[in-house]
Order: sequence, then C-alpha cells, then structure tokens
Amino acid sequence: MLQCIFLLSDSGEVILEKQLTGHRVDRSICNWFWDHTNSQPNSYKVVIIIIIITFSLSSIIIFDFSVLCLQQQPVIASPTHYLFQVCREGITFLACTQVEMPPLMAIEFLCRVADVINGYLGGLNEDSIKDNFVIVYELLDEMIDNGFPLTTEPNILQEMIAPPNIVSKVLSVVTGNSSNVSDTLPGSTASCVPWRTADPKYANNEVYVDLVEQMDATINRDGVLVKCEINGEVQVNSHITGLPDLTLSFANPSILDDVRFHPCVRFRPWESNQILSFVPPDGQFKLMNYRVRKLKSTPIYVKPQLTSDGGICRLNVMVGMRNDPGKTVDSVNVQFQLPPCILSADLTSTHGTVNILSNKTCTWSIGRIPKDKAPSMSGTLVLETGLERLHVFPTFQVDFRIMGVALSGLQIDKLDLKTVPYRFYKGFRALTRAGEFEVRS
Amino acid sequence: MFPQFGATAESLSKASTAVFRIGTDAHLYDDPDDVNIAPLLDSKFDSEKCEALKRLLALISQGFDVANFFPQVVKNVASQSLEVKKLVYLYLLHYAEKRPNEALLSINYFQKDLGDTNPLVRAWALRAMAGIRLHAIAPLVLVAVGKCARDPSVYVRKCAANALPKLHDLRMEEHASAIEEIIGLLLNDHSPGVVGAAASAFTTVCPNNFSLIGRNFRKLCEVLPDVEEWGQIMLIGILLRYVIARHGLVKESIMFSLYNKDHSNLDEDEHYVTSKEDAGYATEKTVSELTRTIFQCYIEGPDEYLSRSSSTIKVAPKLDESQYTSCSNEIVKILLQCTSPLLWSHNSAVVLAAAGVHWIMAPKEDVKRIVKPLLFVLRSSPASRYVVLCNIQVFAKAMPSLFAPHYEDFFIHSADSYQIKELKLEILSIISSDSSISFILKELQDYIRDPDRRFAADTVAAIGLCAQRLPKMAITCLEELLTLIRQEFLCGEIRSLDGEEGVLIQAIMSIISIIKLEPAIYEKVIIQLVRSLDTIKVPAARAMIVWLLGEYCSLGEIIPRMLSTVLKYLAWCFTSEELETKLQILNTITKVLLCIKGEDSWTLRKIWTYVIELAERDLNYDIRDRSRFLKKLLSSNLESQNVEEENGESQKKDQKRVVAECIFGVQTKTSTVPSEPINDRFYLPGSLSQLVFHAAPGYEPLPKPCSLPNIDQYDGSDKSDLDEVDDSGTSGSSDEENASDYSSERSISGSSEVSGSNETVSGNEGENNDDPLIQISDTSNVNENQNGGDHAGTSGFSDLMSTKSLESWLDEPSKSSKGSETEQSGVRRSSARITIGNIGSRIKPKCYTLLDPANGNGLMVNYSFSSETSSISSHLVCLQVLFENCSLESMFDIVLIDEDSSKSVDSTDQISQAAENTVKSHIDKPALVSMEEIPSLEPGQKAKRTLLVRFHHHLLPLKLALFCNDKKFPVKLRPDIGYFVKPLPINIEAFKDKESHLPGMFEYVRSCTFNDHIVKLNKESNSLTEDTFLVICETLALKMLSNANLSLVSVDLPVASNLGDASGLCLRFSSEILNNSMPCLITATVEGKCSDPLIVSVKVNCEETVFGLNFLNRIVNFLAEPPVTHS
Repeated sequence: MLQCIFLLSDSGEVILEKQLTGHRVDRSICNWFWDHTNSQPNSYKVVIIIIIITFSLSSIIIFDFSVLCLQQQPVIASPTHYLFQVCREGITFLACTQVEMPPLMAIEFLCRVADVINGYLGGLNEDSIKDNFVIVYELLDEMIDNGFPLTTEPNILQEMIAPPNIVSKVLSVVTGNSSNVSDTLPGSTASCVPWRTADPKYANNEVYVDLVEQMDATINRDGVLVKCEINGEVQVNSHITGLPDLTLSFANPSILDDVRFHPCVRFRPWESNQILSFVPPDGQFKLMNYRVRKLKSTPIYVKPQLTSDGGICRLNVMVGMRNDPGKTVDSVNVQFQLPPCILSADLTSTHGTVNILSNKTCTWSIGRIPKDKAPSMSGTLVLETGLERLHVFPTFQVDFRIMGVALSGLQIDKLDLKTVPYRFYKGFRALTRAGEFEVRS
Repeated sequence: MFPQFGATAESLSKASTAVFRIGTDAHLYDDPDDVNIAPLLDSKFDSEKCEALKRLLALISQGFDVANFFPQVVKNVASQSLEVKKLVYLYLLHYAEKRPNEALLSINYFQKDLGDTNPLVRAWALRAMAGIRLHAIAPLVLVAVGKCARDPSVYVRKCAANALPKLHDLRMEEHASAIEEIIGLLLNDHSPGVVGAAASAFTTVCPNNFSLIGRNFRKLCEVLPDVEEWGQIMLIGILLRYVIARHGLVKESIMFSLYNKDHSNLDEDEHYVTSKEDAGYATEKTVSELTRTIFQCYIEGPDEYLSRSSSTIKVAPKLDESQYTSCSNEIVKILLQCTSPLLWSHNSAVVLAAAGVHWIMAPKEDVKRIVKPLLFVLRSSPASRYVVLCNIQVFAKAMPSLFAPHYEDFFIHSADSYQIKELKLEILSIISSDSSISFILKELQDYIRDPDRRFAADTVAAIGLCAQRLPKMAITCLEELLTLIRQEFLCGEIRSLDGEEGVLIQAIMSIISIIKLEPAIYEKVIIQLVRSLDTIKVPAARAMIVWLLGEYCSLGEIIPRMLSTVLKYLAWCFTSEELETKLQILNTITKVLLCIKGEDSWTLRKIWTYVIELAERDLNYDIRDRSRFLKKLLSSNLESQNVEEENGESQKKDQKRVVAECIFGVQTKTSTVPSEPINDRFYLPGSLSQLVFHAAPGYEPLPKPCSLPNIDQYDGSDKSDLDEVDDSGTSGSSDEENASDYSSERSISGSSEVSGSNETVSGNEGENNDDPLIQISDTSNVNENQNGGDHAGTSGFSDLMSTKSLESWLDEPSKSSKGSETEQSGVRRSSARITIGNIGSRIKPKCYTLLDPANGNGLMVNYSFSSETSSISSHLVCLQVLFENCSLESMFDIVLIDEDSSKSVDSTDQISQAAENTVKSHIDKPALVSMEEIPSLEPGQKAKRTLLVRFHHHLLPLKLALFCNDKKFPVKLRPDIGYFVKPLPINIEAFKDKESHLPGMFEYVRSCTFNDHIVKLNKESNSLTEDTFLVICETLALKMLSNANLSLVSVDLPVASNLGDASGLCLRFSSEILNNSMPCLITATVEGKCSDPLIVSVKVNCEETVFGLNFLNRIVNFLAEPPVTHS
C-alpha cells in the first residue's frame, strides 16, 4: 500500500507531503528522485542553441527557456522505496511504497488525484496548489486512507469538501471565516449508486450527450496510411431530478471495436443487446470510451517534402482537405521538431503563422483551411557545418477539429428515461479532433 | 541562463497572480510563521484556530518540524467545528508517533466522537484513532473497530475495514484472530463498498485465510461488478488465489498445456495452434520453454526458485493430474464469468487484474479475450501505458500468436517516451510473423530516420531480432541493414554526430547476429563488411568487423584468399587504432595463424611478429600484456611448426597449441544457435515485482494448487459448505477423481493437522494473555499469565471457532483468576457494605424496564443490578428481576432464557450458520443461569427473581427470550458497566499504593457537572444544622454507590476552605473488575461553590484500559444525570 504522496513542482521543490501510514517516508527521497530523473539521458535538457532566423513576414520567434519535459519511467525502484510518478502540467505526483502492490493501482490513483485537484482548482500549477494547500490536504486525506483509496468519486468529494469558488473567496475575505468542510456525510456514500449525488433537484431536466472523437493516424514516409483509428468518448452532462434510469442505444454498435465503461453502466444489457443502461452521476461525466479501428481515410492531408543538398535543406509542407466532410475543419495546426543537426530555419507560409521555439519546436498554426487554395509552408533549413544532407527526418504532428461530425460514423439511436415520470430535454452533439495524428517525412 | 530576466519574469507572474490569490490560503503558505501561532491555537474562535492549524500544515508541507505545538493542538480535538477537527486530525496523524504520550490525551475525545450521531464524525474519529498507531491503545481501537464494523452507516463500516490493516501493522499477534473475525464480518457485508475495503484489508492482514473466502465465494463473485474499482483490484486477486488453492489450475489453460509439454498429443496441439495462426516461429521450442518457466515462476516462491537455480539442471517439479481441474468446473466458470465484464472497466488497473485471471485460468482458446481490452488500455495515461506494455511483453513472449494480428497497435508515436518506444520495439520483434513482417519492417525502416538516434539504434537491433526469429526474412533484413551502413558512409564524418555511432555499431551487431545463423550463406556479406573497413571509423564497429574476419577466416573460398591482404592492411594501421580495435586485431591475427595452414602461413607469421612487436611497445599496458601473453603462447607453436616441417611432432609443444586453440576457439563452431537457458525471473501479471524485476517485499506467488483442503480442516462448518459447492460444481469423471483425491488427502493429514493447529493456537493464546498493557505494569501478574497460558491450552481450540472472539478476548484474562476466586469471594462477603454512616441503606439501585405491559400482554418486567456477586462464576452479574402482572388474567410458566440457545433448539436442521451458533453456545458458558420458573402469576401479583447473567461484552446488550403463556417475547438486557465490578474494601494507604502503580496511561480523567446536591440543599435549607459539605458528600457518594458496585474508601474534606467553597472535596472509591479482579480505583474531586452546580472531575486508575475508559464514561454520564426524585 502507498506510504506517502509528494507533490513536486517543476523545479523539484516539494509543494506538499502527505504521510499515509506509520512507516514514515523522509522527504529526502524526493531529492533522490529528482537527481535520478535529471541524470537520465532521456529527460530533455534545455539546450540553448542560437537560431538564426531571418525575419520574414509570417514568422514569429518566441523564446521559451522553461521547457523541461521529463519523460521518466513511471515506476522506479529507489534504494529504499518503490516510486510511482505521474507528471501533469509540470506538477509531479510522487507516491512511495515499500511493499508489493499493483503498480497500476498507484498510477491510476495518482491520475485520479491529479484529475480531482485539477477539477477543484480549475487547472494545475504550482501557485494554485500552494494557494489552496489546505483543500489539497483535505482532499488527499479523504481520497486515501492508510494507503488504500477511500473516496475517489468527484461528486461525493465535492459534497464533502467544497471547491474554492468566488463566493467562498469573497466570504472568507469579508468575514474571515469560512469552512469548506461539510458537516454531514454525503448521502450517496451509503446508497447503491455511490457516484450519484443523493437527491438533486432541477427546474429543467436535461441530458446532453456528446460524442467526442479523436482520430489517431500514422502516415509513413511513403505517404501510405499505416494506421487510422478513432478513439471516442461518450460524454454526458445530466441534470435530472431524482434517481433516473437512462438507456442509450446506438444505431450501429457493431462498428465499435472495443469499449470501456464508467462504473455506472450495467454490464448485462450491453452484453446481450449492446444497450447502455445506467443511473447517471449528476453533472458532467465520461460514460464510455470506444475505439473504431481500421478506418480508410483521413479528412485532411499533410504532405511534407524535404530535399537537402550542400548543407541546405528545402522544406515544403502542403495541407489540404481530402474529401469534404461537410463541416468546416478548423484549428488546424502542424507541429514538428527540427532535428538537432539543424542550425537555423527560415520558414514562411501562405496562410497562418509559423512559430519556432528555442527548443527547435516548430508550430504552424493554420486555423481554418480556405476553400479556394491549399495552404503551404516552405523555407530553408541550414544544416550543421560538415553535413551535406539530412539523414534524419522530423515527424509532423497534425491537429485539427471538426465540429458536428463523428468521423467514426457512430450514431446514437435513442435515449430513454425510465423510472422518473416527467419529460426532459435531450441534446446530442458530436466533435472530432485529431489525436495522435502523425505524418512522417 | 539569464538570472536577471528570470527574476523579473517571476515577479511579474507573481504580481499577476496576486489578484487571483485573494481569499485563498496563499498568504498562509507563503509566510506561515509571520504571526505567533501558539496564542491562535488557544483562541476561543474557531476561525483563529483554523488559521493557526493551516499555518502549521503549511509548515509541515514545507518540511519544518512543528511537533512542539502538539499539546496545544491536541487540545483542540474537542472542538465542535468539523473543519477544526479535520485539521487537527491531519496534524495529529502526522506527529502522533513522535509524541505518543500526548497523543493519548486525545483518546477520550475519539471515544466520545465514536458515539456521535453524525456518521462523518464517527468515521473520522475512527480513522484518526486507528491512525495514531500506538500499542497502548490498540485494544481500544480494536473494540472501536468491532463496534464500527456493525455501524449502520456504510461509510463508517468502510473506514472500519480500512482501520484493520492499521491495527495489523502494530503486529498484535494476540489479536490476529479477532481482526480476522471482523474481516470475515465485513466481507459478508451487504454493501459492495464495504466488501471492497474488506478485500483490501484481507490482502494485507491475512492473505492466506481462505476459509473466510470459501464461506462466501459465490456471493463475492456476484458482488464483484458492483464493488468500487479499487476494491475490485484486490478482490480479483483474492478470488484467483482462492480458486487455485482450492481447485488447482485449469487443464485447458496455457499453463497446463505447456507444463506437460512432453505429452506428445499436447505437443501436436501446440503446433496446430501456431500453424493455424500461420506463424512458423523458428524458436517455437524456446518460446514454449519460456512459457513453462514463466508459469513455474508464478507458482513457486523465491526460496524454491533460488534453490533450484543453484543446481545446473532445471527440472520443473511436475504437478500431478490431481492438481488440475477442468474448466467445466463450476467454480472456475464463475470466476471467469464474473471477471470478464471487468475487462471493460475504465480503470486500467482493474482491466489488467481481470486479464491476469484469464491469462492464468482461462482455457487457451478464450485467452484472446484479454487482448483487445489490454490494447485499448494503452490509450489511457502514458504512465499506465508503460505498465501495461511491460505486462503485454511477457504475455507476448509466452504466446506470440496472441498479439500477432494486432501489430499495428505497437507502432510507435513520436510523442512516446523512450521507455515505451523500447518496449514497443521489443514486442514488435517478438510478435512478428510471416504475414506481418513486411509491414513491420517497413515501419522499422521509418524509425531509423528518427531524429532520436538512441531509438534508431534500438530499431536496428529489433530488425536483427526479427531476422533471427523469422529466418525466411533474414536476407531482406540483411539487405536493409547493409544499405543502412552504406548510407552512413554517405553521411561522411559520422563521428561528429551525436548517437550516430550507436546506430552503426548496432547495425553491425545485428548483421553479425544474422550471419551467425548460417555463416555459409553470408560469405559475401562478410567480405563486403571487411571491405568497408576503410570507411568505417568508429572503433567499436571496426573491432567487430575485425572479429568477424577472425571468426570466419576459414569460411568459404574467397575469405582465406583475401586474408593476407587484409591482415597487412590491419598491421599497417595498427598504431593509429583505438584500444579495443587493437586488442581485436591481436586476437584475429592469432586466430588466423592458428587456423590457416599452407602457402600463406609464412607471410602470416611475419605479420603476426610485426604486430606483436608493435604491441609490446604500446602505451597501453593492456595491449602490452596481451601481446606478451600471445607471444609466450604461440612462440612455441611457431617453433613447433618449424620443427614439424623438419622432424615430426613434439608431444609437449602440442599441448600448448591445444590450449591456444581452445582459447581462440578454432574448433569448428556449431552453426545452430544453442537455445539459451532462460534465466529470467517472472512475476505475476500486474504485480510491482514484474516491473522492477525482483520480488518486492510482500510479493506472494500463487498458492500451491489444491493446498486448501488442509486449511479447511479446522473449520468444520466451512468444510461442509465447500464440499457442497464442490459437489454441485464437478461434473466430469476426472473431477470425481480429484474430489476423491482431496478427501483421501484430508483423511491422511487430518489428525496430525488438527493437533498441529491446536498447538499453534495454544501458542497464540499464550501470547494472547501477554497483553502489552500487563507487560508494562509490575511483576505480580507474571504468575497469572502463566496460569492463563495453561488454561488457554485447553480452551484455545474452541476459542478459535467462536464467531465473537472479540468478546471472548475481553473475557479471556478471567480464566486466569479462576483459581483464586473462592478466596476472593470470601473477602468480599465480609465487607459487603459501606462503612460510613447510614448511606448503605439509602442506596436505591436504578430500575430498568425489561418488558413493559403494553408489549408484553400486561406483563411488566423490571430489573435492577444488584450489588451482590455470584458465587458460581466471576463472569456472572447478579440482577434482581421483578415480574408484575398488570393484566386482569393470570399468567403461567414465566421464564427467561437465552435467545441463542432457544434458537438452536428451534432450528436444529438449518444452514451451517445456525450450526455454527450452536457450536459457539456450546463452548461459551451459557449467557444466563437458568431462572427459576414462575409457575403462575395472578393479576396484580408480583414476583421477584434473582438472575445470574453473563454478558458477552460490557457494552453490548444481551438478547433474551421471555416465555409467558407459551408466547415468546424477545427482550434485550442492557448491561451496566457499573456492576461489572465488585467492591474492593481497602484502606486509604493501600489505595494510594495501588494508585501509584497505575500512573500515566492507566489513568483517565473526565469532568462533569453535578447538580444533585442543590435539590437536596434547597429541600433542607431550613435546617441550618445540616452541614452543606456533608450533604454534598452524601449525595455524591449515594449517587456513585447507587449506580455502581463500589466501596467507599475515604472522604477527604478540604482543610482550610471557605465556608461556601466545596473545592478540594475528594471521595475515593475502590473496586475490582469482576472477571479478572484487577483493581479499579476511582477518585472524584469536587470543585466549585457549594450552592452552585459543582464540577466533579473523576479519575479512574485501571490497568484494563478499555474497561477503565468505558467505566469512566459511565460514571461521568450518571453523575451528570438529573437526580432521581425519590418517593
């Protein structure tokens, strides 16, 4: 079982320490961890290389010195403890144990802690955690008892410990006194649906179902679509009085390759009829994850070309719509990491802006693709002296967003409400985003 | 880099965020000690206390030691504000172990909170109390946990389950059975949330007590999908272990088929499976070998493994047929059925745990069910992706066909971390099959162009591995690698580039590994590589090519012919080489010299001598050493060759040549790759050990298959239950065999096992009396302890079977006092009454209602505790029961009997649960000494009976059944702790002596307000003669004596007090606990004005902590009660 949880800032400073068992963990373990992390060759160190960039119309330079992306093993055996770590937005959640336990349990728990704190503070950063350290302490105390998770359901936690909001802030300034600890035990801890707030009341009963899909695709150096799949989520936002029992069915459930459910979903109806039957938590939650594999095409294409000769490399990237999905494709963004052997880059684009960061990350923000012509980016890269041509090639990560379409083709058939007599408003939406969409050059 | 810039940026960001920080606790974190914390803690405002506590928390989180505030903080535990409470608990738990004595101060408040009506308060109090982790209070916590385990609130029960591992941490072996009892109770809870927490407690406290699981296996399986995700993880593991221990492994699983590989039919089967997947694996044998090792590792402990690995031949201990069960076994079916929907869980840990069960237990054709969920989990957080990949790697190694169709999922994204890339590459090379290899190779070629050169180097290694696995593809792979090397030359000066060397070295290593497979085919490749020596500048790469030349110098036609030229070239560039290349050149030339005979040998010898001479003068001593060694070794050889030409052979010199040939391995090498013995250690899927490659402390392999029947032996009811299950479950004839096997095994080991367990139990019991509390006290108890140990020897076995050993624990020490009992009762009788004044006669014991006429058809039954004690047993408490007929009809046959015994009489042929009860009530002494029956009761008539009752616990009511006119009325008899003691008549000196032996933690103080005297004073205000002090003394003493069975030792009046001030008045009472005759001393000190409500602080000194505290609470409660108006 977990013995201790530390929250570390991006500079290795311990923000919080919560001992969980009688076997105390000294915080010197954090120093060990930090040294170990930094000694690993794969943690990207910030190497400042002066990039000579000719100012052209559309290139903007942003120097960012604080990028330290730690890609550390999530499970480390230190001389005294086993460490589990999850890194979120610069905050490292570090947990220690000395005995055998399922490592995924620790990792999942740390992720849950990160999610909950994120939800409470509206974003994770060092300052917000320090500002609300008491709440974080109270949350941790409620979430884990003696190294074993106790209450991790965000709904219940919010009833036990009130999240900081403007009203309470103002109150505390005015009166100098406010308690964020609830006096009573949330009723749902005792019910058979522990994820649901005891008895919510709403004037307007409404359920919104969103299909949010992420497209993962890999296009190899020959321009062949190697892999294309959709990872989708069914997000539900429910505001219904009482204890509703919802059923949701799809028009074409057979296309789903794999599924994962929120604990509220009953397994039986899905096994027999592929129907989702559940008592929803109150508010926003993720009902299910699904995966649709082996898709045949992508909505947009990205065609990079690199030709190098005599220490100069010409780069040309074309982006365009492949077959019109009927809706506009926006927030298109192409990002890539310049290989380390490149000394300087001069890139211009016909549409959108190009940024090059000091760590050689190059971002081309296109926004909406114009109807009439395909945007392109071109320019030259200067190679290291002595290097005739480029032998390593960057991978382009593409980002886009299409509102109103679920590219997997999944369709919701109907949503029914049982057990509660009154009418309610139903809303459906769909959205597709790029996930791990990669184009190799 | 730019400190000044950084500073401004920081201050800027601070300024901008300052706006948002208003109203948060930011200022507390930034400057926690800018105000004086101590006075805030003493403040009477909750908000100020809160602020102080928050500041302390901030200091803790910044790594300061603020333990010195402990006493002040502990005080605040009594606060009514939940926020203050929460903060105090947070602080308390952080420091409790450092300040045990002060932490004890808070125990009273926890006890009070445990009785609170708010479940949240109860739960918090329990969590904090258990979290303090002090041996001294462990028995108290145990009682509290036992109470909370029966709490109406689910949340409190859940916290009770979580508190058990905390108790277990204190290593209280003597309470182990009590703890396990509570776990059993909680596992049987109807709320899934509690079951989950109980499962985790089970894993930490008693992972091998399968009888607890066996009892409700089916129920646990049913409830599994509803248990909270964290509990599911634990429960899955428990159920798996139980099934293996109870029923053994499954015949149809991968585990079995590979264990019995030598069965030819199974062997064919294996071939069939893989050929179906059209994946002709070259190393199929090694794969199955590996699988066998993996599964063997699963079930054997680290000790066995170590002992086995020390011997050279690793023979797997064969499991015989009887240790297997069929998948048609009901129990196995249930297990697989209840875990399969969990593969859809959104918690990746649950998915992996469920997958582990299927991996081990599912029939081979069903194992593929786990593949897709596992692959889907890869899409969750990067951290869990790593863990899942580590597990998939092992699965794939054991059964590549499982993941072969899903190779696309292991394609690498540029955003993956290096560890993940590494794992994916390895898995790709493991699962590559003939159908997928072309796609995989295409993908791998893309990776070589990746800017991360370390990754590129790994890719090259993976290509080599693929080629080794699929010999058909070897040539394609080789082509690929050679073009890569050629391209590297084109890049020119590769040394200048970071990581580029690594790729090259790896490429050559991969080529060598491919050549090794069949050197004869790849002669041209070797030549090509040797030719490229001119362009390759990386020393390690050069060294390897040189080695290649030496290794295959006699291969084919062309190589021997080019040898002299190449060696000349090497000799020429020897001086400019790096260390490793130099050493390799020396080796190679020597090898060539040993192998090649014929026309070139003279030239070769010349080159050799030249190189040796150069080497002898090298700057590096390694090279000098090597050259000298070679010279010594071969000089004779060279001579011998000379001599050979002249006059035949010389025996002695030949020996040196043999040595040299051995060293340089001239003997023809076997072309096949010997299958390497698998030395890896494998751990259960989803375990921490699996990730860190060593058994983490607490790692437990799977239990020995079918090891459980022996464990069942001592639990009679359990056994029958299991047998029932087994009968319904087994269907095949082979299973019948299994079943008979069990039973025979059972009968053989039966008797010895029973006695064995008995012995261990009695050992435990011996320790049981070694209560840590007693140990700390004086030596007079040693005798008693030994006594108790003897008694326990006989009672231990039965004790283990009782369902309520919690209660029996409380009664346990009493057995030790049996011997001296008669003597004590004599003492008691001679001094039964109180000596001062006429108080004794005025004692009016309180009367409680057992049955009111409304419920009892007109029968009224009242009872009061009597100050007499039973002469039969010290366990028994005397009660006066008054029966009154308030109805108009007469009543017959009124009798009170014990509820439990009545039930057992009623239902002899019920389920095992009831059977257990009868067993229990047999062992325990009857709760009620049978009452003399009242034959008839006329209307209005009263009858009085004396009842001897044995309460199970001084807090739990006793359920009785009252029979009247053949009707049964269930009634509850509430115990009064005040009558669990008997008066101990001692004088004041003895009192003070005993008191001085019971200091510190045996002393508990609480105060309350006392009002009784006011009524009395008001009533008698006209008679001025009455001394107010005496009135107070009398009322107080009377109140005490009416509510508890005590003896008044002394009354101390304050000497120089004001007339109206009663402060300093002190009454001492003494008593001893009924069932173990431990003294229990009570001191009541009064404070306040005579005419006002007085504050009485009551102090109890008692060794028995639990009892003492409860006793104190009781006294304080009744003192604060309003006076009973006497008629």
